[in-house]
Amino acid sequence: METIVQNIQGVPLNHYILFCSIIFTIGVMGVLIRRNVIIIMMSVELMLNSVNLLLTAFSVHHGDAAGQVFVFFIMALAAAEVAVGLAIIVMVYRNTRSVDINALNRLRG
Amino acid sequence: MESELLSTPQDFVPILIQLIVAAGFGVGTIIITHLIGPKVRTENKLGAFESGVEVIGNARQPFSIKYFIVAILFVIFDIEVIFMYPWAVNFREFGLSGLIEMFVFMGLLLLGFIYIIKRKALEWD
Amino acid sequence: MSAIITLSLLAILVLYLGLFKARRALLPVSLLGLVATVVLYGVQWGKTAEPLYSGMVLFDHFAVVFSVVCVILTILVLLLSKDYFDKSSPHVAEYYALLLFSLTGAVLVVSFHNLAMLFIGIEIMSVALYILAGIRKKDFASNEAALKYFLMGAYSTGFLLFGIALLYGASGSFDLAAIKEYVVSNPQGISPLFYAGILLLIVSLAFKLGAAPFHFWTPDVYDGSPILITIFMATVVKTAAIAGFLRLFYFCFIPLQDFWVPVLLVMTIITLFVGNLTAIVQQSVKRMLAYSSISHAGYLLFAIVAIGATSANSVLFYVTAYSLSTIIGFGSLILVKRATGSEHFEAFNGLAKKNPYLSLAIAIAMLSLAGIPLTAGFVGKFMMFSGVLADYQVLLVVLAVINAAMGIFYYFRVIVAMYFKPLDRDAIVVSGPYRVVFFLAALITLLLGVYPAWLTGLI
Repeated sequence: METIVQNIQGVPLNHYILFCSIIFTIGVMGVLIRRNVIIIMMSVELMLNSVNLLLTAFSVHHGDAAGQVFVFFIMALAAAEVAVGLAIIVMVYRNTRSVDINALNRLRG
Repeated sequence: MESELLSTPQDFVPILIQLIVAAGFGVGTIIITHLIGPKVRTENKLGAFESGVEVIGNARQPFSIKYFIVAILFVIFDIEVIFMYPWAVNFREFGLSGLIEMFVFMGLLLLGFIYIIKRKALEWD
Repeated sequence: MSAIITLSLLAILVLYLGLFKARRALLPVSLLGLVATVVLYGVQWGKTAEPLYSGMVLFDHFAVVFSVVCVILTILVLLLSKDYFDKSSPHVAEYYALLLFSLTGAVLVVSFHNLAMLFIGIEIMSVALYILAGIRKKDFASNEAALKYFLMGAYSTGFLLFGIALLYGASGSFDLAAIKEYVVSNPQGISPLFYAGILLLIVSLAFKLGAAPFHFWTPDVYDGSPILITIFMATVVKTAAIAGFLRLFYFCFIPLQDFWVPVLLVMTIITLFVGNLTAIVQQSVKRMLAYSSISHAGYLLFAIVAIGATSANSVLFYVTAYSLSTIIGFGSLILVKRATGSEHFEAFNGLAKKNPYLSLAIAIAMLSLAGIPLTAGFVGKFMMFSGVLADYQVLLVVLAVINAAMGIFYYFRVIVAMYFKPLDRDAIVVSGPYRVVFFLAALITLLLGVYPAWLTGLI
């Protein structure tokens, strides 16, 4: 057990930061570029999960459990958010028969 | 004893070999059977096998929206288990107050569950 | 803490009342519970505040005052909601319960002492509102508002979390006191991660506040949601967002002022101009109020640009004045829309003849939003501007005064329509609860305009 932790700590923190930033950026770009609502939601999940990974890495780095506890809260609340989001998408789909974000253009001005 | 617990990267070489062999066997058999196996293409052989029952329609069709509600409700209650896991690991240290706090948490979840049942969200018809 | 527990239990109680068909009891029980919450806060007032639950929440004067403002605004919104939702949805209890859950989140946001609580509070507040925005299931506009609000909310949550993660990485703690300790004790060696974290937090909080350049969801969502939900979003949520923003920056980031003040300064100026310039060209009162709420977010950001001991007071005053006037503005719009079916400026034509008292209340609200003396809005703007002037940011004040002048233009369009455009119309029926709310809001607006000292010494 000890050695595994040591091995993980052997990976420099910068690698984690860089890696998580890249995943986060992919998520951000996904939200901005994609037009399918479901895929946008998946991109948002990608953003949240990169944060989870980063928090865990920092948590191990600092030797402090608070970061990992925070990850639990992110998971629970992300699940709640996705549940509500999917319900909203189903509602919109029933009315417009589309999950394309460009269909949302009724409010203008 | 100490030296046995410490492991170096070299100690993982057998696992690496095992991985290569396992993956190689899988990929290899697929390729070889594809190359040397006999090819018979009839309608019966290409159709999906449904225990002798005639295949009807496409599998990729819309399914009941009720399934969605049940699935979402399952996910919400399922995810709450992650709060129980760390609690269970440290159960002895938390003592009685930890037990009470977890019961409060479970009680709130139970209230939500009763609400769902009363709203008839889990009834299929 | 007892207040937060009361609020959450109240929401669950209301949910179950709906289950057992006790429809008539919903509103009285909710109001009673909210009043009890205010009383509980009143009991807490003046005691020395300690961080509770391993430093998760802190009920200092700041938290108590802003919580009470949020609760009172919710009481006003609930009073307006009598009979409003019976028509659109059979599930009225859920509507009340979700509003109360959202309020619980808002209260958490204003009293957090740990970044985890900030995150959880914002989520509780927003997730309930995603549903409320789309509560009219068959209405396209409501659907669209809900989806847009959800996507933007989830997106900004991602930024918030990444910012929090970076702050944690640099300082090693989520606790505000520990982060402050980190900033104060390493004046030179602050990690670049920390700066990036501050920027990401600014982005996400600006999203929630509806400040430019992250405002683009605001007009659509405010326009598409049912008007009552719009009132809640424009008052309670905005109050909580600016209070949380201020709390975080006042607690932790003051020593790094040189870094983030220029960023916020630019954002403030953009927000003011975007909000006011687009509000001028609107034809619908609802959209005009939505854009004007963006510009008010800009005025609110002044307090954070000129951060200091008086910031909390000026934000409190401004947010109270703005919220009361917004409640009158949108609330009267509900009545006008019910009577004429239109949200345009023309729908207000000739209102003053038939409904003199209603028109007077609307006029007071518009004057207060525009910042005319003897109303609370003027004192609020004055406090904001003087705070910035004390920091010698004269240019900002000049720009803000230009914007205030633009604001006068479009707020006066409503008054002109009511008083100077004659039209034969039927009198609008104003029911009892609406009268009470309008009277109270207008009265407080005037009283605060004349005796501002009642509110300025609280924090």
